[in-house]
Amino acid sequence: MKVEHFLEKNEVREITIFKQLVLNNGILSYTKMLEHLSISKASLENDLESISSRMTVFDKQIQVLYDGQTIELKMSDEQSLQHIYRLYLNQSVKIEIINYLFKHKEFSITKLTQKLAISESSLFRKIKELNSHLKEFSLKIRNGQLQGEELQIRYFYFQFYYYIEDKTTLITSRSDNQITQAVHSLENFLQVTIVPENRQRLTIWLIISKSRVTNKDKKYKHLRKQMQPYVKDPLYHKVQVMVLRYYSRYSIEVDEEEAMLHFAFLLAFPILTEDDFHEYTLIRDRHAPIASLDTYIVETIIIHFKFRRPPYMLERDMYYHLTHIHTRLYFFHGDIEIYEYEEMIAREKQLVGKSLVPFARTLLTISTDKFMSIEVENNSLLKMELLKYISLLTLISFKMANVIQIGIDLKMDELYKETLSELLILKMRPINGIQVERYQPSKEYDLILTNDKPVEENHYEDARVYILSEILSSFDMASIQRVIQELHT
Amino acid sequence: MKVVIIGASFAGVAAALEVRKLHKDADIILLEKQATLGYIPNGLHLYWDNKINALDDARFITKEQLDRHEIQYYLSATVEKINTTQKIITYDYLEKEELIAYDKLIIAAGSRQLSEKIDGSEHERVLKYKRYDEAQAALAKVQESRHITIIGGGQVGVEAADLLIRQQKQVTLIESMDYVLFKYLDEDMIQPIEQKMTDNGIDLKLRQTVSSIEAEADHKISVHLGEESVASDAVIMGVNVRPNLHFLDEQIDLHMDQTIAVDRYLRTSAEDVFAVGDCIQLSGPGEEMVYIPLINNAVRTGIVAAANLIKPAVPFNGSSRTIGTHVFGYYIASTGLTEGESLFTNRTVKTCRQEVRLTSLPQSDTMTLKWVYDASTHELLGAQLLSTSNILEKINTLALAIQTKQTLEDLKQADYFFHPLYTQMVSATNLVSWMAERADEDES
Repeated sequence: MKVEHFLEKNEVREITIFKQLVLNNGILSYTKMLEHLSISKASLENDLESISSRMTVFDKQIQVLYDGQTIELKMSDEQSLQHIYRLYLNQSVKIEIINYLFKHKEFSITKLTQKLAISESSLFRKIKELNSHLKEFSLKIRNGQLQGEELQIRYFYFQFYYYIEDKTTLITSRSDNQITQAVHSLENFLQVTIVPENRQRLTIWLIISKSRVTNKDKKYKHLRKQMQPYVKDPLYHKVQVMVLRYYSRYSIEVDEEEAMLHFAFLLAFPILTEDDFHEYTLIRDRHAPIASLDTYIVETIIIHFKFRRPPYMLERDMYYHLTHIHTRLYFFHGDIEIYEYEEMIAREKQLVGKSLVPFARTLLTISTDKFMSIEVENNSLLKMELLKYISLLTLISFKMANVIQIGIDLKMDELYKETLSELLILKMRPINGIQVERYQPSKEYDLILTNDKPVEENHYEDARVYILSEILSSFDMASIQRVIQELHT
Repeated sequence: MKVVIIGASFAGVAAALEVRKLHKDADIILLEKQATLGYIPNGLHLYWDNKINALDDARFITKEQLDRHEIQYYLSATVEKINTTQKIITYDYLEKEELIAYDKLIIAAGSRQLSEKIDGSEHERVLKYKRYDEAQAALAKVQESRHITIIGGGQVGVEAADLLIRQQKQVTLIESMDYVLFKYLDEDMIQPIEQKMTDNGIDLKLRQTVSSIEAEADHKISVHLGEESVASDAVIMGVNVRPNLHFLDEQIDLHMDQTIAVDRYLRTSAEDVFAVGDCIQLSGPGEEMVYIPLINNAVRTGIVAAANLIKPAVPFNGSSRTIGTHVFGYYIASTGLTEGESLFTNRTVKTCRQEVRLTSLPQSDTMTLKWVYDASTHELLGAQLLSTSNILEKINTLALAIQTKQTLEDLKQADYFFHPLYTQMVSATNLVSWMAERADEDES
């Protein structure tokens, strides 16, 4: 499921126009834009007009100027693409349907058509469209209710309120003392610290849980099955004690599975700090599915990188992130694609070289095979988890890469030599994993950049030598990057 | 002024008597769903304990007493709906629909002991006996049963287990928490009781949740818990009680847990409508609003609502959740915050557990006492008592200390009597560590 699935076709196009402008320094020709959108010029004019009328709310803080030749985006420093997205999403009828469902748990067609001021047929159409995207969450809107497993319902609402709907609205309208107190109690019961960025996630989850807990006839079939290896888990036990005690103070007959829901959530999202999570890894059952997959994947990564063991803290970090990924794959279905998958993949490929992406795919295949996951191809959950694997691998490769020592040894007049060396150092600064300086004969280097072939074969000892053709030329820069990458692997 | 009270159990009757005391001319009408008046909930336990000769003796109020106070009452009167705008109540009485108008309404409809989650809990061999007719049915069923499964290890469940084992029944007790009576006692206090329970042959199943109950062919009834099931002759539901308020109109706001939202004066969101007893949340030991369905709270809220009928005069001062009972040879009592529950508050608590002698005599019995207090101010927040001697009255002293926010230092100076037959050098409810037989300070 994607953010744009909550919008109408023309709205998606309008947002794409903004995005293209942001990606192209804020200005683009009609021809390029038409090419990208593959629409007629008349439709583009329509879209631009519609954009202009929508942007009036920003009071010239955001403007799109167009003259039949070029399109230009003017935006004040306080505004961003996010604000524009927000504006479109705020008008989305589908978002309102989900909001209404969350608030009322059940709707009648008559009430909802009145509330949204749309016809019955267009309401049905929108529900049908929503259902086609809810499918990967194994959910559907039927008989005026969101139907499916309780874990999936809460997970979907969580993703929805965290990524799609304006989360601050939900928090300000729904978070009360009871929720704040519940977060605090959770810290007490689990003996953990919830840091501010994780607190927001937990707050949203608890708001959703509070509104769902009294619902009748909740379904837990998949959750119960997946929880079987975890009934004796120490973290689950703590959650269970807290949940039972908490609801014993109200006139609520709480489901046994309520604690299971929280357990899955706590492990699938960054709620615990790495430190607190580490405490848990020391006592969890290493043979339980998630933990054993974590270990298997860590070992696979270590073998792939031909590493000696990664530094202790990096290994801990790997477990922390892998448990999140694997818990998601183990308990949940579906996801909301918060990043443009293809773009991210392309960007990562540029950044880390091509080999990590296929390896990340291998890891994902291992994981889904181990869990015997029945997720269909092209599923957003798999895509997002793949991105996470890639990010993790990138992080590891950065952290594990040796810093390459580079010496610049230019042979020319002292004045030029100093200036050009400094300029070269400046130009190379953005490259990761290197340490660059002017050559000092007493030091050892991995790479020497010079403009003159050394007379003696081993003048620079073991260091690799690159001879600059034209100092600061793009040809040389590209070649240097290639050499650096070779040295890294 | 016409005051209608829905429910004639403790809260309703207390409210009625107090209204009469304050308003000599008021018309007071009690509408009671049950066919009998003033039955003490769980009076069956008194009967099993041989404290009364018949279930009928378990009464806290009689018709004569109500007559004397000129309080009208209708038994078997089931309220169907209320209209708080027009101030009219619709109820079924003698198979006819009746209407009654009110000037002031007090909702004291009480609670029921049932489970909506457990499939099959409606079966006739699944016993609940809070009410008189239920108790009669349960009495007969238990007599013909040999093996009984109790669901819930709260006060009702544990008392029932004790009373049934004394009747040579085979008893299985199922509790979803790690230990029984967890609302009132901390885990470090419960050990002697659980030990006694297992010694007495009770099959104690902790950390287990009942999913469903199923009647079997051979008059047996199966209780399913995850992978396991227990087959017995009858099942006793000792689960938490919940209000049954289907008759409310939309003017009356409810809490998330379906209890009625009331202010400090026990007024609901509808004008001239009050709610009391097991229908509402109270400010509990942690000063948060919680649900504490105890008879002491029912009576006290009934009295407070009566005092606020005309104008808000007396705020309800909350509940310390004070309880006392006798199970498996131990007198146990608790008031205020437990250490376990303190995790729900913002307070940092310290605890101390000590064993003290009760008298100055050589063979004096001892009492185990657990103190829960604020780490910085030393304000007493909770206390738990356990002894084979009857120490129950002592909990009221501590409950009062908590209600009046006494510190441990204040308590040291409390003026208690001395008599070697009944006290030791210092009173037992006085945290002076040098008189303890054993004391475990806890730094949590």
